[in-house]
Amino acid sequence: MIEIRGLSKSFAGRGRGRAGVKALEDVNLTIDDDEFLTVLGPSGCGKTTLLRCIAGLVSWDEGEILIDGKPVRGPGPERAMVFQSIALMPWASVVRNVTFGLELRGVSRSEAEPRARELIELVGLSGFEAAMPFELSGGMQQRVGLARALAVEPQVLLMDEPFGALDEQTRRLLQEELLQIWEHRRTTVVFITHSMEEAVLLGDRVVLMSARPGKIEEIVPVPMPRPRSDHLDTVEGSADMHRITTQLWTRLRSWQVDVGKARKTPVAS
Amino acid sequence: MSSAADAQPLASRGGRRDAGRPFVSRLLDSKLFLRLLTLGIVAAIWQWYAVTVGGLLIPTFDGTVVAFFELFIDPEFWEAVWVSNQSMIIGFTVTVILGIPLGLFMGRYRPAEAFTDVYINILLVTPMAAIIPLIIMAIGFGLNARVLLVVLFAVPMVMVNCRAGVRQVDPTLIEMAQSFGATERSIWWRILLPGAMPAVMTGIRIGLSRSLTAMIVIELLLIAVGLGGLIINYRGAFNAEGLYAVVVFVIIEALLLITVARWVERRLVPWAHEGALSHD
Repeated sequence: MIEIRGLSKSFAGRGRGRAGVKALEDVNLTIDDDEFLTVLGPSGCGKTTLLRCIAGLVSWDEGEILIDGKPVRGPGPERAMVFQSIALMPWASVVRNVTFGLELRGVSRSEAEPRARELIELVGLSGFEAAMPFELSGGMQQRVGLARALAVEPQVLLMDEPFGALDEQTRRLLQEELLQIWEHRRTTVVFITHSMEEAVLLGDRVVLMSARPGKIEEIVPVPMPRPRSDHLDTVEGSADMHRITTQLWTRLRSWQVDVGKARKTPVAS
Repeated sequence: MSSAADAQPLASRGGRRDAGRPFVSRLLDSKLFLRLLTLGIVAAIWQWYAVTVGGLLIPTFDGTVVAFFELFIDPEFWEAVWVSNQSMIIGFTVTVILGIPLGLFMGRYRPAEAFTDVYINILLVTPMAAIIPLIIMAIGFGLNARVLLVVLFAVPMVMVNCRAGVRQVDPTLIEMAQSFGATERSIWWRILLPGAMPAVMTGIRIGLSRSLTAMIVIELLLIAVGLGGLIINYRGAFNAEGLYAVVVFVIIEALLLITVARWVERRLVPWAHEGALSHD
């Protein structure tokens, strides 16, 4: 279980006299074991910052993050991250990229390799073990990124807009496969996205964040049954899906209007 | 056949698909043939110019070729080759040993850069000829002076490239490593060094050619020994063939060394040439 309590973080302003940016303000969130939680919000709402805090990659100003009761002080072996920019080492083959996390944790190559090959098969890349990243398409590269994260057998999978840079068809395929994998080997997933459909399609709950300062506005439960991976298209056409997406969009749009008003006010005065 | 090629796009690369084309059209496409052809044209123009226009100071092409092979049985020439290359080899070695770690370090730690940046810039912009008298006054005409000048001339390029190499490593790769719990040491070995490798190799290659330039320039300008000294002697004796032959030798040595450096680079950092490979 992940507990986030009163988390706040500001980035220092650049130059003299410039105010800092409040990236996160009083974020409170509890994530259950094996839950698939999606975090949705406009760009600049601090959703990636929140994920990086959970990953232990950045520090924060106030509050605490507990994983199974233990406070987060930095990266830990129970968490693994999947990056939007994929972050594969261009000089290493697919296998070497997948064994990277294991090798860092002291697993020998001879032990890490069979495990890596299993995961490469799981993400559907059998036959590409020796390929170099630049020989793979974006979707295939992100499969490697997923396999690398799964290889360390994390309890918590942190995914930062992992399919954001992919084209529509590839994205749908990977969503299906991610769900399939998650349905078979349950882990907690925190999945950042800026796509409403993706957030609803994948998540058990959708955390809706607003920008400046970044804070949680609403947590929307997604009561659609699992497993969904075998009929994702039906899920997408369902009434529930439509209702929740509409609900999310209403909220998101109301902030857009607010922002527009806020911009106009100083001009009028 | 075609399905096998699809499955392993890289394995089939370099396959001869032009087999069966007429010999002449294949010959015209071959790089070696074109190079030999341009060489032949240049030699013909040279020969024509030397015979019709040239006098004492412009040797003929065939005279130069003869002089070139005569050099090979001249012990004085080999002595000069040894003397010159001594300063280049020692200087280049020192450059690599000193320049690479310093450059890499500067790339990662900003304070180190603030400390050394100004000196690197001075070395990069100062014309080398201006430093030579200064060094000679300080430490004399010996091998030390020549080595020092080679290092001063080559080391900034190596450092600048290594620094850029570390800088250009994708920061999300470092973050990725940190997310898996990498220590600063593992980040160096597993991310920064391999990531900087292509730029380091480029730095080594440029450093090598700068070492070679420095070696000759110093001998021509102030310390008349080695190949530079030989060039000066032949000029004084109006031995145009000999002078041209020595210059040709220097060019060939430079080309050979750069070719070796490129070959090593391609072996060590094949992923840096991905662009060339993926467009077939």
